[in-house]
Amino acid sequence: MDLDELNRLAIRKAEALKVDDAIALSARGTDSMIRFADNSATVVNRVEEAELTVYLAKEKRRAIASTSNLSAAAVKKFVEDLFKSMKGLPQAECAPLPEKVTKYSQSGGFDRKLEDVEEKLPELAKVAIDSSLAAGGKRSAGVISAGKATVAILTSSGTTGSDSRTAITLNIRSFGEGEASGHGLSCASTLRMFDPAEAGKRAGEDANRMRLASEPDAGKYEVLLSPTVASNLVETVARAASAFSVDAGTSYLTGKLGKEVASTSFTLTDHGVTDGGLGGRAFDDEGSPTRTTRIIDQGVLGGYLHNLTTALKWKSETTGNAGLIAPHPWNLEVGEGDSSYEEMVKEMNNGIILTSNWYTRFKNYRTGEFSTVPRDGAFLVEGGEVTKPLKGMRAGDDLQRLLTSARLLSKKREWVQWWEVDTPTLCPWVLVDGVSITRAYG
Amino acid sequence: MGTQEARDLADAAVAKALKAGASYAEARVQATWEREFGLKNGEPQPSIFAEGYGIGIRVIAGGALGFAATNDMRKAAVGEVAVKAVRLAKASAALLQRPVVFDSAKPTTKRWAAPETRKIENADSAWLRGVLADIDGRIAKGKAGASIPGRLLYLSAELQERYYVNSDGSRVIGRVPRVSFGGSLTAIEGGTTAQRFIQQGETGGLEVVKRIRLAEKVVEEAEAMLKVLKASARPPTGVVDVVLSPELSGIAAHESVGHPQEADRVLGREGAQAGESYLKADSLGRKIGSDEANVSDDPGLPHSNGYAPVDDEGVAAKKRHLIRGGTINEFLQNRATAGQFGVKSNGAARAVSFDREPIIRMSNTFVEPGDYTTDEIFKEVKHGVFFKTFTEWNIDDKRLNQRYVALEAYLIEHGELKELVRAPVLEITTPRLWGSVKARSKHMEFEAATCGKGDPMQGAPVWTGGPETLLSGIRLGER
Repeated sequence: MDLDELNRLAIRKAEALKVDDAIALSARGTDSMIRFADNSATVVNRVEEAELTVYLAKEKRRAIASTSNLSAAAVKKFVEDLFKSMKGLPQAECAPLPEKVTKYSQSGGFDRKLEDVEEKLPELAKVAIDSSLAAGGKRSAGVISAGKATVAILTSSGTTGSDSRTAITLNIRSFGEGEASGHGLSCASTLRMFDPAEAGKRAGEDANRMRLASEPDAGKYEVLLSPTVASNLVETVARAASAFSVDAGTSYLTGKLGKEVASTSFTLTDHGVTDGGLGGRAFDDEGSPTRTTRIIDQGVLGGYLHNLTTALKWKSETTGNAGLIAPHPWNLEVGEGDSSYEEMVKEMNNGIILTSNWYTRFKNYRTGEFSTVPRDGAFLVEGGEVTKPLKGMRAGDDLQRLLTSARLLSKKREWVQWWEVDTPTLCPWVLVDGVSITRAYG
Repeated sequence: MGTQEARDLADAAVAKALKAGASYAEARVQATWEREFGLKNGEPQPSIFAEGYGIGIRVIAGGALGFAATNDMRKAAVGEVAVKAVRLAKASAALLQRPVVFDSAKPTTKRWAAPETRKIENADSAWLRGVLADIDGRIAKGKAGASIPGRLLYLSAELQERYYVNSDGSRVIGRVPRVSFGGSLTAIEGGTTAQRFIQQGETGGLEVVKRIRLAEKVVEEAEAMLKVLKASARPPTGVVDVVLSPELSGIAAHESVGHPQEADRVLGREGAQAGESYLKADSLGRKIGSDEANVSDDPGLPHSNGYAPVDDEGVAAKKRHLIRGGTINEFLQNRATAGQFGVKSNGAARAVSFDREPIIRMSNTFVEPGDYTTDEIFKEVKHGVFFKTFTEWNIDDKRLNQRYVALEAYLIEHGELKELVRAPVLEITTPRLWGSVKARSKHMEFEAATCGKGDPMQGAPVWTGGPETLLSGIRLGER
């Protein structure tokens, strides 16, 4: 059954049950992956799946369900069971679907060359590994993931459409002598823009440069965040901008609409659809058109991300970021600065360059206090010069202080999406002041 | 999951893969059923239910490992997926330096089920809502009351059923019902906030909610948060003793013992994601902690969140003694790493759904109990801090440098618990932590957790736990 047919089946059944509103959102995708370690393939993965998600609302009772059992009989029973399950629910304030009907057509971002790339993944992985070896890395681990996905929507008010997208990403980590390691990424929506050689080179170069790394003294430092590290933190900012997070008490942006939350050089935007974006689509899960939303505009919090229900509560309008329960970002963009990487390093007096990080955890999402663990390339900068590689440290701060101290941003930006960054993010290098660096007792 | 249709599909997939040139093949038909309900500050959220059904097929072909999955359960479609797994594995052999060789594990034929008294399928929206409404009412209107404006509570009932078959002769049918609670509480007083994420759960039916005293535990947490808001004393400086609660003992056991002793990490397979390990293949027998450092992982604990008597490679699982008397004793193994180490798998391979390959996972990881009573542990401390609960935590990707920030912590003076201490930080290396273990109580508790690993990501249900653990000679930081 094709996706449109699935949606029609579900909506027809929902209408027969006399619901107030219904949404059918079906998706079909194929993800292919090769993983490697120690310069050798460890596994290939291929997952082909289709899924139907149905939303029903009747008399302010709402239910959401998803199923991968997609025979016609199963879908009808599934919708009927979902409807029956609503009887035990209490009523709660929720927004009706808009009466305005929108017809969406495919919005681009689809590269046919990525449809058949799965058997070429070993070859592409070899390009990255060889590039790392040539740059000084000794052994590499990583993953190339390529996928295509189509999402189709039909609502009881008649909104309909579908959107197909492709993406390919490489995450490579190279290891050198001792504990030395480096990291490289390449993230693209087309095969043409995918550059495994450059990612492998970066990983290999840093694996080489990180030889003889030592632990820094604990203290406050200027820190130059790579696009990879900055994207990891920016994603937590965007999640805090979801009106659901604000309502739930888990946002440090609570009560800050229209107030300064970053330096004037910092602008953060969410795009439903954007050139080069690896995620997103033309419509959100409620059938509203996605759009461009300025979350932070030159340091000032411009607005929260909304779906219909949070917008009703906040007396605002949807920003096209539904999530049937919680609004979420699609593709994030941090505005470009006007500095080069070299100029930013020269600006640093006593600082640290961080190229990769992981395990960002919050003491308190309401205050934005967090710490994160740098890994791979990290370098001490003294008087504008890189002086030595560093290891064994932890960076801690709060998001408000961190972003208000953002001093310089690079003109050059990169797309980032990997194990530590779910939302595709176009991000520059970001120079911040006064970050706390600590070391373990041992 | 014992349906003939599922068995026929899986059996046929294995046969098809072998015919296509695989030297080994396995298939796992897995069905997931889930009901979930949430309350946000008392407001009902849309109820959620999810049903998944599909097949994952894993092969060795040309010496390489291939995995493919689909939820198109027509026989012909499943057959095509099996052949595809073989073809892709063979294609990847061009990038293969060492062929994958499984250990010679004894095949298992078994039907198993995590015990349940009240069938999980009876968890409807009304039941889920009733449990949460009771909890929310007690923390919103009770003594904990007005100072906890942020309350996001979720309760889910889940059933996982699987049929597993492999070409070595294993056939396993498993059934795991599970109840899980997640809560985010934010307490505010004046300009001060405290936040706590609570996860509770175990395998079983609807009886789990009462068995684990879910409502009482959440109320206790809420009341503790209100006390924490008033904490003003700074942590002591200098070298002190530290008592880790069962919760802190458990997270330390999981992060700095369980993870670095996963054999796939030791061999570098997770290098680009969760990282490698400070331990190497020849680290078995290395003394890493004091004689009192004893940490295990046991998938057979009754009711446990990580209960799995047979793993997803058809290997009967057993208790793993990870650190014994301070010495690295055993790694967590699957059949591929066991083949490389020249040992037998200890049954640590798990997959969270049909569309994920089985990888090495912890189950229930804990510090072993000691001989002391809890009071006796505190009596051992002249000057120190008791870490009761934690918020922020993280660890480096070699699992050497970890940090735990306490939420509820108390000063200990001459064996007595004194005032609350504000956000002490234990930031410590793994050898220092386990080398500092001086004593353990016999009082054990476990916490539910979700362990993230793999690419694509797999969040596996686990328990972490242990007794009160006394660490001597520790230097603390503060947040």
